[in-house]
Amino acid sequence: MSNATFLRWRYRSGALFGAVLYYLALSLFTIIVLVPFYWMARASVSNQEQILMSPPLYFPTPTLENFGIVAEQVPLVLFTTNSIIYATFSALIAVATSFLAAYAFSRIKVWGSEFLQWLLIITVAIPQVALIIPLYQILKTLHLLNTLAGLILVLSSLLTPFTIWVLMSFIKQVPQEIEEAATIDGATLLQILWRIVLPVTTPGLVTMLVINFINGWNDLLHPLSFSSTEAAKTLSVAITYIYSYRASWGLPWNLVSTVGMIMVIPIMILVIFAQRAIVSGLTRGAIK
Amino acid sequence: MQQAASINPRRSPHWRRRTVITFWALVAPVLILRLVTSVYPIGHTIWLSFTNTHLIEQTRDFIGLDNYRQMPQDPAIQSAIAFTIISVLASTALQLLLGLLIALMLNSARRGRNFGRAINLIPWAIPGITAAYAFRWLLDDQFGLIPEWTYLLTGERPLLFLTAFSARTALILLNVWKSVSFVAILFLAGLQGVPTEVYEAAKVDGANAWQGFWSITLPLVMPLIVTMSLFLMIGQLGGIDLVYGLTGGGPGNATATLGLRIFQEGMRFFKFGYASAISVVLLLLICVIGALGMWVNRKVEVNL
Repeated sequence: MSNATFLRWRYRSGALFGAVLYYLALSLFTIIVLVPFYWMARASVSNQEQILMSPPLYFPTPTLENFGIVAEQVPLVLFTTNSIIYATFSALIAVATSFLAAYAFSRIKVWGSEFLQWLLIITVAIPQVALIIPLYQILKTLHLLNTLAGLILVLSSLLTPFTIWVLMSFIKQVPQEIEEAATIDGATLLQILWRIVLPVTTPGLVTMLVINFINGWNDLLHPLSFSSTEAAKTLSVAITYIYSYRASWGLPWNLVSTVGMIMVIPIMILVIFAQRAIVSGLTRGAIK
Repeated sequence: MQQAASINPRRSPHWRRRTVITFWALVAPVLILRLVTSVYPIGHTIWLSFTNTHLIEQTRDFIGLDNYRQMPQDPAIQSAIAFTIISVLASTALQLLLGLLIALMLNSARRGRNFGRAINLIPWAIPGITAAYAFRWLLDDQFGLIPEWTYLLTGERPLLFLTAFSARTALILLNVWKSVSFVAILFLAGLQGVPTEVYEAAKVDGANAWQGFWSITLPLVMPLIVTMSLFLMIGQLGGIDLVYGLTGGGPGNATATLGLRIFQEGMRFFKFGYASAISVVLLLLICVIGALGMWVNRKVEVNL
């Protein structure tokens, strides 16, 4: 083998090795990410008999009877509606209030502004579970226990620091000269916010609406702690009920998986359609 | 010049006063929300930790340090402190390592990377409680997929949730599975910021892939690693969704974290005073990690 051929061979085998390693890693990664879903999806369309088979039935003939059984156990429509209201309004309030604050922090130089931003960041480092008792007492005093309004108040507040952080990076990209020119032309602050800043930061607002909605939809701690009546329970609480209900043959995995699928499918759709927005939001929040 | 200054309303003292008012008006909604639901509750948690407040027994007396004196005699708390620290350290280390590997894989120019990037978001985006039950079911000793495959390979069915070690390992791995995608997204963004010319120049100079990674990629993502580990540790210290769904703290108290203990003592047994004292311990842990993180951050910045 001449030297040149050897080098070419070495290069080719190196590239081949790289490709094999890449596809092996990607396959392993795909399996690890998706297998829990396959197992859950399988259980959600299996009846009790199919789920108890050994060896397991890998591809059962799908049945939708579990949805009916779950709906008999818990008020499924009410809990789903509650989840949607909770996530949507928490996201909207967090984004609306954060937009105003983010504009003030990025554009108005005032004594105390830096301190406030620092304080906001400190408050997100506090684990929410450590504040759950005072929050319970506050909601009780305000007569907001067992209401969606109470849950929304707490969660939208929790979401604001990260939302402000991300929105500031969007607002700072807009050249300030446009706003200054508008001021000279006699535009009021509200007009500037509504006509100039809002349209150019729309991608940022949509991004944070999506991320905050996901956070609200996924939240367990608050509804689990503050809702003892059905009026303010969400799907995340419903799944813990189905889980704690014991059938004579053990855990009703087909029913738990059914609620699990109801919770996961909307999120999957959101991830597929808003992948870019989510990634840009997360990276802007963490990397300056 | 003079004329321009008087025309520009931003220069007048009247404008100055108005901007201050405008600033506080814009910040007020967020500020009120945070004061009511975060700043005040922090102070109130600390106060409650010195009382015997109990929702059912209706007590609310100041008892000094009694709650804190009770902790050394409570084996559940000591186990929770130890496991919380172990679990957070192990999860963070694995998340950083695997997150970097996943980011390197997804940064490849080969086919399939867009698919990989799309599914990478899924574990991060789905509800923690659902992920926990999905894993509980996957590992179920009778009908779970993993014990079934283990049985096919070894002829034995592992009872994963019966021993402390395997239950703890399962919880840590679930933690990693749930958050590694977030780490990978950030590393990927960091890697995409490295211009390819740098690697090409290194290649021309005779550097192999490993040397390129070691002397270019790693130093560039190092600051990101430090901030992210701080972020991950603090973010995971108080989470309860995964442990609540996967093990409920069991077997015994083996997998109970401080967060779960606070929730159970406070919202299940209504011992508000005692739960608040545990919360203060958790807050102190956050302070220690935060201080350590900032110290390391300064070291890394100097070295670069």
